[in-house]
Amino acid sequence: MFEGLFDGYTRSILIFAGINVMAAYSFYVPFKTGQVSLGQAGFMAVGAYASAILTQKFGIPFAVALVFGGAASGVIGVLVGFPALRIKGIYLLLLTLGFSEIVQVIALSWDYVGGAQGFRQIKFNRYTLDYLAVLIPLLIWFFARLERSSLGRAMDSIHQDETAAEVMGIDVVRTKLFAFGLGAMIAGFAGALYAHHATYMDSSTFNIMTAVEILMFVVIGGASTYWGPLLGALFLTLLPEFLRTLREWLELVPVAWTGFFPANRAYDFLHDFLDFENAKRLIVYGIILIVMMILRPDGLLTREQLRRFSLARLGRRHA
Amino acid sequence: MPEPAGCLSIEGLTKRFGGFYALNDLTMQVAQGHIHALIGPNGAGKTTFFNLVTGVLAADAGRIVFEGAEVADTRPSRRTIRGIARTFQNIRLFPHLTVLETVMIGEHCRYYPSVWKGLRDTVLHRPFGEAADERTMRTSALELLAFFGLADQRDAKASDLPYGDQRKLEMARALATRPRLLLLDEPAAGMNPHETEELDVVITRIRDRGVTIVLVEHDMGLVMGISDRITVLNFGTRIADGSPREIQDHPAVIEAYLGEDATP
Repeated sequence: MFEGLFDGYTRSILIFAGINVMAAYSFYVPFKTGQVSLGQAGFMAVGAYASAILTQKFGIPFAVALVFGGAASGVIGVLVGFPALRIKGIYLLLLTLGFSEIVQVIALSWDYVGGAQGFRQIKFNRYTLDYLAVLIPLLIWFFARLERSSLGRAMDSIHQDETAAEVMGIDVVRTKLFAFGLGAMIAGFAGALYAHHATYMDSSTFNIMTAVEILMFVVIGGASTYWGPLLGALFLTLLPEFLRTLREWLELVPVAWTGFFPANRAYDFLHDFLDFENAKRLIVYGIILIVMMILRPDGLLTREQLRRFSLARLGRRHA
Repeated sequence: MPEPAGCLSIEGLTKRFGGFYALNDLTMQVAQGHIHALIGPNGAGKTTFFNLVTGVLAADAGRIVFEGAEVADTRPSRRTIRGIARTFQNIRLFPHLTVLETVMIGEHCRYYPSVWKGLRDTVLHRPFGEAADERTMRTSALELLAFFGLADQRDAKASDLPYGDQRKLEMARALATRPRLLLLDEPAAGMNPHETEELDVVITRIRDRGVTIVLVEHDMGLVMGISDRITVLNFGTRIADGSPREIQDHPAVIEAYLGEDATP
Protein backbone atom coordinates (compact mmCIF):
# COMPACT_ATOMS: atom_id res chain seq x y z
CA MET A 1 0.00 0.00 0.00
CA PHE A 2 2.83 2.38 0.84
CA GLU A 3 5.36 1.10 -1.72
CA GLY A 4 7.56 3.95 -2.86
CA LEU A 5 5.73 6.50 -0.74
CA PHE A 6 8.36 6.62 1.98
CA ASP A 7 12.07 5.91 1.94
CA GLY A 8 13.22 2.99 4.05
CA TYR A 9 14.28 5.15 6.93
CA THR A 10 10.99 7.03 7.29
CA ARG A 11 9.17 3.78 6.84
CA SER A 12 11.03 2.14 9.67
CA ILE A 13 10.38 5.10 11.98
CA LEU A 14 6.68 5.05 11.14
CA ILE A 15 6.53 1.33 11.88
CA PHE A 16 8.12 1.72 15.30
CA ALA A 17 5.87 4.68 16.05
CA GLY A 18 2.85 2.58 15.06
CA ILE A 19 3.89 -0.37 17.21
CA ASN A 20 4.42 2.02 20.11
CA VAL A 21 0.96 3.49 19.59
CA MET A 22 -0.52 0.00 19.85
CA ALA A 23 1.53 -0.71 22.96
CA ALA A 24 0.31 2.56 24.48
CA TYR A 25 -3.31 1.55 23.83
CA SER A 26 -2.63 -1.84 25.40
CA PHE A 27 -1.69 0.01 28.58
CA TYR A 28 -4.60 2.40 28.28
CA VAL A 29 -7.38 -0.23 28.38
CA PRO A 30 -6.64 -1.75 31.81
CA PHE A 31 -5.73 1.73 33.04
CA LYS A 32 -9.24 2.87 32.15
CA THR A 33 -10.44 0.58 34.95
CA GLY A 34 -7.70 1.82 37.30
CA GLN A 35 -5.22 -1.02 36.73
CA VAL A 36 -1.64 0.17 36.22
CA SER A 37 0.28 -2.59 34.46
CA LEU A 38 4.01 -2.95 33.96
CA GLY A 39 3.29 -6.27 32.28
CA GLN A 40 2.54 -4.93 28.82
CA ALA A 41 6.10 -5.70 27.66
CA GLY A 42 5.56 -9.28 28.84
CA PHE A 43 2.33 -9.50 26.86
CA MET A 44 4.11 -8.13 23.79
CA ALA A 45 6.69 -10.89 24.27
CA VAL A 46 3.97 -13.53 24.48
CA GLY A 47 2.42 -12.31 21.22
CA ALA A 48 5.81 -11.99 19.56
CA TYR A 49 7.09 -15.44 20.50
CA ALA A 50 3.77 -17.22 19.93
CA SER A 51 3.38 -15.79 16.45
CA ALA A 52 7.06 -16.27 15.53
CA ILE A 53 6.90 -19.94 16.55
CA LEU A 54 3.92 -20.39 14.25
CA THR A 55 5.46 -18.69 11.23
CA GLN A 56 8.98 -20.02 11.63
CA LYS A 57 8.49 -23.53 12.98
CA PHE A 58 5.18 -24.40 11.36
CA GLY A 59 5.20 -22.22 8.25
CA ILE A 60 1.83 -20.73 9.07
CA PRO A 61 1.03 -17.45 7.23
CA PHE A 62 1.69 -14.28 9.18
CA ALA A 63 -1.93 -13.06 9.20
CA VAL A 64 -3.03 -16.24 10.99
CA ALA A 65 -0.07 -16.17 13.35
CA LEU A 66 -0.84 -12.55 14.22
CA VAL A 67 -4.38 -13.41 15.25
CA PHE A 68 -3.14 -16.38 17.22
CA GLY A 69 -0.40 -14.35 18.94
CA GLY A 70 -2.93 -11.72 20.02
CA ALA A 71 -5.37 -14.36 21.22
CA ALA A 72 -2.70 -16.25 23.19
CA SER A 73 -1.63 -13.04 24.87
CA GLY A 74 -5.27 -12.17 25.61
CA VAL A 75 -5.91 -15.52 27.27
CA ILE A 76 -2.79 -15.18 29.41
CA GLY A 77 -3.89 -11.63 30.16
CA VAL A 78 -7.16 -12.88 31.62
CA LEU A 79 -5.25 -15.47 33.68
CA VAL A 80 -2.91 -12.78 35.05
CA GLY A 81 -5.95 -10.55 35.49
CA PHE A 82 -7.47 -12.85 38.13
CA PRO A 83 -4.82 -12.31 40.82
CA ALA A 84 -4.60 -8.69 39.67
CA LEU A 85 -8.25 -8.16 40.68
CA ARG A 86 -7.54 -8.19 44.35
CA ILE A 87 -4.60 -5.86 44.47
CA LYS A 88 -4.01 -2.23 43.64
CA GLY A 89 -1.40 0.43 43.18
CA ILE A 90 2.19 -0.45 43.81
CA TYR A 91 1.37 -4.12 44.50
CA LEU A 92 -0.26 -4.46 41.12
CA LEU A 93 2.81 -2.86 39.55
CA LEU A 94 4.99 -5.48 41.22
CA LEU A 95 2.72 -8.35 40.22
CA THR A 96 2.67 -7.32 36.56
CA LEU A 97 6.40 -6.64 36.64
CA GLY A 98 6.89 -10.12 38.06
CA PHE A 99 4.86 -11.51 35.17
CA SER A 100 7.14 -9.73 32.68
CA GLU A 101 10.19 -11.16 34.41
CA ILE A 102 8.75 -14.69 34.23
CA VAL A 103 8.17 -14.32 30.49
CA GLN A 104 11.74 -13.05 30.08
CA VAL A 105 13.22 -15.97 32.00
CA ILE A 106 11.20 -18.47 29.98
CA ALA A 107 12.38 -16.85 26.73
CA LEU A 108 15.96 -16.96 27.99
CA SER A 109 15.98 -20.58 29.07
CA TRP A 110 13.80 -22.18 26.41
CA ASP A 111 16.13 -23.41 23.66
CA TYR A 112 13.25 -24.09 21.27
CA VAL A 113 12.90 -20.32 20.80
CA GLY A 114 16.64 -19.72 20.71
CA GLY A 115 17.30 -19.30 24.42
CA ALA A 116 20.20 -16.96 25.13
CA GLN A 117 21.07 -16.74 21.41
CA GLY A 118 17.73 -15.16 20.74
CA PHE A 119 15.04 -15.97 18.21
CA ARG A 120 16.75 -15.60 14.80
CA GLN A 121 15.57 -15.39 11.23
CA ILE A 122 11.96 -14.71 11.89
CA LYS A 123 10.11 -14.41 8.62
CA PHE A 124 10.12 -10.76 7.54
CA ASN A 125 6.71 -9.28 7.01
CA ARG A 126 6.84 -6.66 4.23
CA TYR A 127 3.41 -5.37 5.06
CA THR A 128 3.89 -4.28 8.67
CA LEU A 129 3.05 -0.67 7.82
CA ASP A 130 -0.09 -1.77 6.01
CA TYR A 131 -1.21 -3.83 9.00
CA LEU A 132 -0.62 -0.84 11.25
CA ALA A 133 -2.51 1.43 8.86
CA VAL A 134 -5.53 -0.82 9.32
CA LEU A 135 -5.19 -1.75 12.99
CA ILE A 136 -4.53 1.69 14.47
CA PRO A 137 -7.56 3.44 12.92
CA LEU A 138 -9.58 0.42 14.03
CA LEU A 139 -8.33 0.86 17.60
CA ILE A 140 -9.03 4.60 17.56
CA TRP A 141 -12.52 3.93 16.24
CA PHE A 142 -13.12 1.37 18.96
CA PHE A 143 -11.90 3.64 21.75
CA ALA A 144 -13.91 6.56 20.38
CA ARG A 145 -16.99 4.38 20.66
CA LEU A 146 -15.97 3.07 24.05
CA GLU A 147 -15.64 6.60 25.39
CA ARG A 148 -19.25 7.30 24.46
CA SER A 149 -20.67 3.94 25.49
CA SER A 150 -22.09 2.68 28.73
CA LEU A 151 -19.31 0.11 29.03
CA GLY A 152 -16.67 2.83 28.74
CA ARG A 153 -18.46 4.93 31.34
CA ALA A 154 -18.61 1.93 33.66
CA MET A 155 -14.85 1.46 33.20
CA ASP A 156 -14.24 5.13 34.08
CA SER A 157 -16.39 4.81 37.19
CA ILE A 158 -14.36 1.80 38.35
CA HIS A 159 -11.20 3.85 37.92
CA GLN A 160 -12.63 6.69 39.98
CA ASP A 161 -14.21 4.74 42.85
CA GLU A 162 -14.23 0.98 42.65
CA THR A 163 -16.44 0.40 45.70
CA ALA A 164 -19.03 2.94 44.62
CA ALA A 165 -19.08 1.40 41.13
CA GLU A 166 -19.61 -2.09 42.55
CA VAL A 167 -22.42 -0.83 44.81
CA MET A 168 -24.06 0.79 41.77
CA GLY A 169 -24.39 -2.70 40.29
CA ILE A 170 -21.42 -2.66 37.93
CA ASP A 171 -19.76 -6.05 37.60
CA VAL A 172 -16.33 -4.79 38.62
CA VAL A 173 -14.69 -8.23 38.46
CA ARG A 174 -15.69 -9.07 34.90
CA THR A 175 -15.17 -5.53 33.63
CA LYS A 176 -11.63 -5.42 35.02
CA LEU A 177 -10.84 -8.88 33.66
CA PHE A 178 -12.17 -7.88 30.28
CA ALA A 179 -10.03 -4.74 30.29
CA PHE A 180 -6.92 -6.62 31.34
CA GLY A 181 -7.46 -9.31 28.70
CA LEU A 182 -8.17 -6.80 25.93
CA GLY A 183 -5.07 -4.81 26.85
CA ALA A 184 -2.97 -7.96 26.77
CA MET A 185 -4.41 -8.89 23.38
CA ILE A 186 -3.54 -5.51 21.86
CA ALA A 187 -0.02 -5.86 23.31
CA GLY A 188 0.16 -9.33 21.75
CA PHE A 189 -0.68 -7.91 18.31
CA ALA A 190 1.95 -5.22 18.75
CA GLY A 191 4.53 -7.83 19.75
CA ALA A 192 3.73 -10.07 16.79
CA LEU A 193 4.08 -7.13 14.38
CA TYR A 194 7.35 -6.15 16.01
CA ALA A 195 8.85 -9.65 15.80
CA HIS A 196 8.09 -10.00 12.08
CA HIS A 197 9.47 -6.58 11.31
CA ALA A 198 12.68 -6.79 13.36
CA THR A 199 13.14 -10.50 12.41
CA TYR A 200 15.22 -10.99 15.54
CA MET A 201 14.42 -10.83 19.23
CA ASP A 202 15.80 -12.20 22.45
CA SER A 203 14.71 -12.31 26.05
CA SER A 204 15.75 -8.70 26.68
CA THR A 205 13.88 -7.24 23.71
CA PHE A 206 10.77 -6.79 25.84
CA ASN A 207 12.24 -5.83 29.18
CA ILE A 208 11.32 -3.53 32.02
CA MET A 209 12.51 -0.48 30.08
CA THR A 210 9.97 -1.34 27.38
CA ALA A 211 7.28 -1.57 30.05
CA VAL A 212 8.28 1.77 31.57
CA GLU A 213 8.39 3.38 28.14
CA ILE A 214 4.85 2.17 27.41
CA LEU A 215 3.71 3.63 30.71
CA MET A 216 5.42 6.92 29.79
CA PHE A 217 3.51 7.12 26.50
CA VAL A 218 0.22 7.12 28.34
CA VAL A 219 1.25 9.26 31.30
CA ILE A 220 2.68 11.94 29.03
CA GLY A 221 -0.06 11.80 26.42
CA GLY A 222 -2.84 11.70 29.01
CA ALA A 223 -5.20 8.88 29.86
CA SER A 224 -8.51 10.70 30.31
CA THR A 225 -9.17 10.65 26.58
CA TYR A 226 -8.37 8.02 23.96
CA TRP A 227 -6.30 10.54 21.97
CA GLY A 228 -3.80 10.74 24.83
CA PRO A 229 -1.98 7.41 24.28
CA LEU A 230 -1.73 8.12 20.54
CA LEU A 231 -0.29 11.58 21.15
CA GLY A 232 2.11 10.37 23.84
CA ALA A 233 3.45 7.45 21.80
CA LEU A 234 3.92 9.56 18.68
CA PHE A 235 5.49 12.41 20.64
CA LEU A 236 8.07 10.27 22.40
CA THR A 237 8.87 8.07 19.39
CA LEU A 238 9.24 10.94 16.97
CA LEU A 239 10.99 13.31 19.39
CA PRO A 240 14.54 12.19 18.42
CA GLU A 241 13.61 12.58 14.76
CA PHE A 242 12.36 16.11 15.33
CA LEU A 243 15.55 16.90 17.16
CA ARG A 244 17.59 15.59 14.25
CA THR A 245 15.67 17.82 11.88
CA LEU A 246 16.19 20.66 14.31
CA ARG A 247 19.94 20.25 13.90
CA GLU A 248 19.67 20.67 10.14
CA TRP A 249 17.75 23.87 10.65
CA LEU A 250 20.24 25.07 13.20
CA GLU A 251 22.95 24.80 10.55
CA LEU A 252 21.20 27.61 8.75
CA VAL A 253 21.50 29.95 11.74
CA PRO A 254 24.24 32.46 10.90
CA VAL A 255 27.18 32.38 13.27
CA ALA A 256 26.83 36.16 13.65
CA TRP A 257 23.55 35.65 15.54
CA THR A 258 25.00 33.45 18.20
CA GLY A 259 28.35 35.17 18.57
CA PHE A 260 31.31 32.95 17.83
CA PHE A 261 29.60 29.60 18.55
CA PRO A 262 27.63 27.93 15.74
CA ALA A 263 24.14 26.93 16.91
CA ASN A 264 24.41 23.44 15.53
CA ARG A 265 27.55 22.86 17.57
CA ALA A 266 25.56 23.61 20.71
CA TYR A 267 23.06 21.06 19.56
CA ASP A 268 25.83 18.50 18.90
CA PHE A 269 27.16 19.03 22.38
CA LEU A 270 23.73 18.40 23.89
CA HIS A 271 23.22 15.48 21.58
CA ASP A 272 26.49 13.80 22.59
CA PHE A 273 25.70 14.44 26.20
CA LEU A 274 22.20 13.01 26.08
CA ASP A 275 22.76 10.50 23.27
CA PHE A 276 19.18 10.40 22.09
CA GLU A 277 19.37 7.12 20.25
CA ASN A 278 20.54 5.11 23.18
CA ALA A 279 19.78 4.38 26.79
CA LYS A 280 20.52 7.96 27.74
CA ARG A 281 17.26 9.04 26.14
CA LEU A 282 15.82 7.83 29.41
CA ILE A 283 17.42 10.92 30.93
CA VAL A 284 15.34 13.00 28.54
CA TYR A 285 12.27 10.94 29.44
CA GLY A 286 12.95 11.46 33.10
CA ILE A 287 13.24 15.21 32.66
CA ILE A 288 10.08 15.34 30.57
CA LEU A 289 8.28 13.25 33.17
CA ILE A 290 9.29 15.51 36.05
CA VAL A 291 8.29 18.63 34.15
CA MET A 292 4.99 17.01 33.16
CA MET A 293 4.14 15.92 36.67
CA ILE A 294 4.61 19.50 37.82
CA LEU A 295 2.91 21.30 34.95
CA ARG A 296 0.39 18.83 33.55
CA PRO A 297 -0.14 15.86 35.86
CA ASP A 298 -3.08 14.63 33.75
CA GLY A 299 -1.04 14.45 30.56
CA LEU A 300 -0.72 16.69 27.52
CA LEU A 301 -4.29 16.17 26.47
CA THR A 302 -7.27 15.86 28.80
CA ARG A 303 -10.92 15.12 28.22
CA GLU A 304 -11.96 18.46 29.73
CA GLN A 305 -9.79 20.24 27.20
CA LEU A 306 -11.37 18.37 24.31
CA ARG A 307 -14.82 18.96 25.74
CA ARG A 308 -14.22 22.68 26.13
CA PHE A 309 -12.79 22.86 22.63
CA SER A 310 -15.76 21.11 21.05
CA LEU A 311 -18.22 23.18 23.10
CA ALA A 312 -16.57 26.41 22.06
CA ARG A 313 -16.67 25.36 18.43
CA LEU A 314 -20.12 23.91 18.24
CA GLY A 315 -21.61 26.11 20.92
CA ARG A 316 -24.91 24.25 20.89
CA ARG A 317 -24.64 21.20 23.15
CA HIS A 318 -24.68 23.38 26.23
CA ALA A 319 -27.72 25.42 25.25
CA MET B 1 -54.69 -5.29 60.87
CA PRO B 2 -52.26 -7.73 59.23
CA GLU B 3 -48.53 -6.96 59.37
CA PRO B 4 -47.22 -5.61 56.04
CA ALA B 5 -45.05 -8.03 54.06
CA GLY B 6 -41.35 -8.11 55.04
CA CYS B 7 -38.86 -6.50 52.67
CA LEU B 8 -35.65 -6.94 54.61
CA SER B 9 -35.20 -9.31 57.49
CA ILE B 10 -32.06 -9.29 59.61
CA GLU B 11 -31.27 -12.10 62.02
CA GLY B 12 -28.39 -12.18 64.47
CA LEU B 13 -26.21 -9.87 62.38
CA THR B 14 -22.76 -9.45 63.90
CA LYS B 15 -19.67 -7.57 62.78
CA ARG B 16 -16.44 -7.35 64.77
CA PHE B 17 -13.47 -5.09 64.14
CA GLY B 18 -10.80 -6.81 66.24
CA GLY B 19 -12.34 -7.02 69.70
CA PHE B 20 -14.84 -4.25 69.03
CA TYR B 21 -18.39 -5.24 68.16
CA ALA B 22 -19.66 -2.75 65.61
CA LEU B 23 -22.85 -4.77 65.39
CA ASN B 24 -23.78 -7.41 67.92
CA ASP B 25 -26.49 -9.96 67.21
CA LEU B 26 -28.83 -7.46 65.58
CA THR B 27 -32.26 -8.69 64.62
CA MET B 28 -34.76 -6.45 62.87
CA GLN B 29 -37.49 -6.44 60.26
CA VAL B 30 -38.08 -3.78 57.65
CA ALA B 31 -41.62 -3.87 56.30
CA GLN B 32 -42.44 -3.42 52.63
CA GLY B 33 -43.26 0.19 51.73
CA HIS B 34 -42.09 1.65 55.04
CA ILE B 35 -39.72 4.46 55.78
CA HIS B 36 -37.73 2.76 58.50
CA ALA B 37 -35.35 5.01 60.39
CA LEU B 38 -32.23 3.72 62.06
CA ILE B 39 -30.97 6.11 64.72
CA GLY B 40 -28.44 6.07 67.49
CA PRO B 41 -25.41 7.96 68.77
CA ASN B 42 -22.21 8.11 66.69
CA GLY B 43 -20.51 4.74 66.51
CA ALA B 44 -23.71 2.85 67.19
CA GLY B 45 -23.19 0.73 64.07
CA LYS B 46 -25.59 2.36 61.62
CA THR B 47 -23.17 2.73 58.73
CA THR B 48 -21.74 -0.73 59.46
CA PHE B 49 -25.29 -2.01 59.07
CA PHE B 50 -25.50 -0.42 55.61
CA ASN B 51 -22.11 -1.82 54.65
CA LEU B 52 -23.21 -5.32 55.64
CA VAL B 53 -26.58 -5.15 53.88
CA THR B 54 -25.02 -3.89 50.64
CA GLY B 55 -22.08 -6.30 50.90
CA VAL B 56 -19.33 -3.69 51.12
CA LEU B 57 -18.27 -5.53 54.29
CA ALA B 58 -18.75 -9.21 55.04
CA ALA B 59 -20.70 -10.10 58.19
CA ASP B 60 -19.11 -12.33 60.85
CA ALA B 61 -22.43 -13.97 61.65
CA GLY B 62 -26.09 -13.63 60.90
CA ARG B 63 -28.55 -13.70 58.06
CA ILE B 64 -29.59 -10.94 55.67
CA VAL B 65 -32.80 -11.92 53.92
CA PHE B 66 -34.05 -9.63 51.17
CA GLU B 67 -37.49 -10.38 49.73
CA GLY B 68 -37.32 -13.92 51.02
CA ALA B 69 -33.85 -14.75 49.70
CA GLU B 70 -30.59 -14.85 51.64
CA VAL B 71 -28.09 -12.35 50.20
CA ALA B 72 -25.21 -12.59 52.68
CA ASP B 73 -22.97 -14.48 50.23
CA THR B 74 -23.62 -12.39 47.13
CA ARG B 75 -21.34 -9.69 45.78
CA PRO B 76 -22.43 -6.05 46.17
CA SER B 77 -23.19 -5.66 42.45
CA ARG B 78 -25.46 -8.72 42.50
CA ARG B 79 -27.34 -7.32 45.48
CA THR B 80 -27.86 -4.07 43.61
CA ILE B 81 -29.25 -6.02 40.67
CA ARG B 82 -31.57 -7.83 43.10
CA GLY B 83 -32.87 -4.41 44.16
CA ILE B 84 -30.85 -2.97 47.04
CA ALA B 85 -29.33 0.50 46.56
CA ARG B 86 -27.66 2.96 48.88
CA THR B 87 -26.12 6.39 49.28
CA PHE B 88 -22.92 7.08 51.17
CA GLN B 89 -22.52 9.17 54.29
CA ASN B 90 -19.20 10.55 53.06
CA ILE B 91 -20.30 11.37 49.52
CA ARG B 92 -18.76 9.01 46.97
CA LEU B 93 -19.52 10.44 43.57
CA PHE B 94 -17.30 9.78 40.58
CA PRO B 95 -15.33 13.05 40.50
CA HIS B 96 -14.65 13.20 36.75
CA LEU B 97 -18.08 12.20 35.48
CA THR B 98 -20.76 14.75 34.66
CA VAL B 99 -24.04 14.84 36.57
CA LEU B 100 -25.87 13.09 33.76
CA GLU B 101 -23.16 10.44 33.36
CA THR B 102 -23.28 9.78 37.09
CA VAL B 103 -26.96 8.89 36.95
CA MET B 104 -26.40 6.81 33.83
CA ILE B 105 -23.88 4.75 35.80
CA GLY B 106 -26.77 3.82 38.06
CA GLU B 107 -28.84 2.80 35.02
CA HIS B 108 -25.99 0.69 33.65
CA CYS B 109 -26.79 -2.46 35.64
CA ARG B 110 -30.36 -2.57 34.29
CA TYR B 111 -29.39 -2.25 30.63
CA TYR B 112 -25.96 -3.86 30.57
CA PRO B 113 -25.96 -6.72 33.07
CA SER B 114 -23.09 -8.39 31.18
CA VAL B 115 -19.83 -7.03 29.84
CA TRP B 116 -20.54 -8.75 26.52
CA LYS B 117 -23.71 -6.83 25.94
CA GLY B 118 -21.79 -3.66 26.75
CA LEU B 119 -19.11 -4.63 24.25
CA ARG B 120 -21.65 -5.56 21.60
CA ASP B 121 -23.40 -2.21 21.89
CA THR B 122 -20.06 -0.42 21.83
CA VAL B 123 -19.07 -2.04 18.55
CA LEU B 124 -22.35 -2.74 16.78
CA HIS B 125 -24.63 0.20 16.33
CA ARG B 126 -25.17 2.75 13.58
CA PRO B 127 -21.88 4.43 12.63
CA PHE B 128 -22.68 7.90 13.91
CA GLY B 129 -25.61 7.15 16.20
CA GLU B 130 -25.82 5.66 19.63
CA ALA B 131 -27.18 2.36 20.90
CA ALA B 132 -30.94 2.34 21.50
CA ASP B 133 -30.46 1.41 25.16
CA GLU B 134 -28.07 4.31 25.57
CA ARG B 135 -30.80 6.72 24.46
CA THR B 136 -33.35 5.15 26.81
CA MET B 137 -30.86 5.40 29.65
CA ARG B 138 -30.28 9.09 28.94
CA THR B 139 -34.00 9.81 28.85
CA SER B 140 -34.76 8.13 32.14
CA ALA B 141 -31.64 9.62 33.75
CA LEU B 142 -32.87 13.07 32.73
CA GLU B 143 -36.26 12.30 34.28
CA LEU B 144 -34.57 11.39 37.55
CA LEU B 145 -32.48 14.57 37.45
CA ALA B 146 -35.65 16.58 36.90
CA PHE B 147 -37.22 14.84 39.90
CA PHE B 148 -34.35 16.08 42.05
CA GLY B 149 -34.23 19.50 40.38
CA LEU B 150 -30.76 18.88 38.94
CA ALA B 151 -31.65 18.82 35.24
CA ASP B 152 -30.03 22.21 34.59
CA GLN B 153 -26.67 21.01 35.88
CA ARG B 154 -26.58 17.86 33.78
CA ASP B 155 -23.29 18.77 32.08
CA ALA B 156 -21.53 20.01 35.22
CA LYS B 157 -18.89 17.83 36.79
CA ALA B 158 -20.32 15.92 39.73
CA SER B 159 -17.58 17.15 42.04
CA ASP B 160 -18.31 20.81 41.14
CA LEU B 161 -21.85 20.70 42.55
CA PRO B 162 -22.65 22.33 45.90
CA TYR B 163 -22.76 19.92 48.82
CA GLY B 164 -26.53 19.67 49.07
CA ASP B 165 -26.83 18.95 45.35
CA GLN B 166 -24.16 16.26 45.62
CA ARG B 167 -26.33 14.51 48.21
CA LYS B 168 -29.31 14.73 45.89
CA LEU B 169 -27.18 13.40 43.02
CA GLU B 170 -26.19 10.43 45.18
CA MET B 171 -29.87 9.69 45.71
CA ALA B 172 -30.60 10.07 42.00
CA ARG B 173 -27.75 7.67 41.16
CA ALA B 174 -29.02 5.13 43.68
CA LEU B 175 -32.59 5.41 42.39
CA ALA B 176 -31.34 4.91 38.83
CA THR B 177 -30.51 1.31 39.73
CA ARG B 178 -34.31 0.84 40.18
CA PRO B 179 -34.11 -0.41 43.75
CA ARG B 180 -36.95 -1.83 45.81
CA LEU B 181 -34.96 -1.13 48.97
CA LEU B 182 -33.08 2.15 49.32
CA LEU B 183 -30.61 2.77 52.13
CA LEU B 184 -30.07 6.48 52.77
CA ASP B 185 -27.04 7.29 54.90
CA GLU B 186 -27.52 10.74 56.48
CA PRO B 187 -29.11 12.39 53.44
CA ALA B 188 -29.67 15.68 55.33
CA ALA B 189 -26.08 16.07 56.52
CA GLY B 190 -24.71 19.40 55.35
CA MET B 191 -28.08 20.60 54.02
CA ASN B 192 -29.63 23.88 55.11
CA PRO B 193 -33.07 23.87 56.84
CA HIS B 194 -34.85 24.71 53.62
CA GLU B 195 -33.17 21.85 51.76
CA THR B 196 -33.98 19.47 54.62
CA GLU B 197 -37.63 20.42 54.31
CA GLU B 198 -37.52 19.61 50.59
CA LEU B 199 -35.81 16.33 51.40
CA ASP B 200 -38.79 15.41 53.55
CA VAL B 201 -41.04 15.61 50.49
CA VAL B 202 -38.53 13.87 48.22
CA ILE B 203 -38.11 10.86 50.53
CA THR B 204 -41.85 10.49 50.98
CA ARG B 205 -42.34 10.62 47.22
CA ILE B 206 -39.70 7.94 46.71
CA ARG B 207 -41.54 5.76 49.23
CA ASP B 208 -44.79 6.42 47.38
CA ARG B 209 -43.17 5.08 44.19
CA GLY B 210 -43.03 1.75 46.01
CA VAL B 211 -39.46 1.87 47.31
CA THR B 212 -38.89 0.73 50.87
CA ILE B 213 -36.48 3.07 52.63
CA VAL B 214 -34.06 2.57 55.49
CA LEU B 215 -32.96 5.97 56.72
CA VAL B 216 -29.97 6.75 58.89
CA GLU B 217 -30.24 10.36 60.01
CA HIS B 218 -29.32 12.64 62.87
CA ASP B 219 -31.91 15.31 62.07
CA MET B 220 -34.62 14.24 64.52
CA GLY B 221 -37.20 16.61 63.05
CA LEU B 222 -36.88 14.82 59.71
CA VAL B 223 -36.80 11.35 61.25
CA MET B 224 -39.83 11.83 63.50
CA GLY B 225 -41.78 13.53 60.72
CA ILE B 226 -41.54 10.90 58.00
CA SER B 227 -40.67 7.55 59.58
CA ASP B 228 -43.20 4.74 59.81
CA ARG B 229 -40.99 2.86 62.21
CA ILE B 230 -37.77 3.58 64.07
CA THR B 231 -35.05 1.26 65.35
CA VAL B 232 -32.58 2.67 67.87
CA LEU B 233 -29.05 1.28 68.04
CA ASN B 234 -26.43 1.82 70.69
CA PHE B 235 -23.04 0.08 70.78
CA GLY B 236 -24.11 -2.27 68.03
CA THR B 237 -27.23 -3.56 69.71
CA ARG B 238 -30.88 -2.69 69.33
CA ILE B 239 -32.18 -0.81 72.34
CA ALA B 240 -35.62 0.14 71.09
CA ASP B 241 -37.96 -0.40 68.19
CA GLY B 242 -41.32 1.19 67.49
CA SER B 243 -43.31 4.05 66.03
CA PRO B 244 -41.92 7.61 66.29
CA ARG B 245 -44.27 8.28 69.25
CA GLU B 246 -43.11 5.21 71.16
CA ILE B 247 -39.46 6.01 70.54
CA GLN B 248 -39.73 9.61 71.70
CA ASP B 249 -40.92 8.49 75.12
CA HIS B 250 -38.73 5.40 75.42
CA PRO B 251 -36.56 5.62 78.57
CA ALA B 252 -33.65 3.63 77.04
CA VAL B 253 -33.51 6.03 74.09
CA ILE B 254 -33.47 9.11 76.26
CA GLU B 255 -30.74 7.53 78.32
CA ALA B 256 -28.63 6.63 75.28
CA TYR B 257 -28.89 10.14 73.88
CA LEU B 258 -28.75 12.26 77.00
CA GLY B 259 -27.06 10.09 79.63
CA GLU B 260 -28.44 8.28 82.65
CA ASP B 261 -29.21 11.31 84.81
CA ALA B 262 -31.60 12.74 82.29
CA THR B 263 -34.08 9.91 82.79
CA PRO B 264 -37.15 11.53 84.32
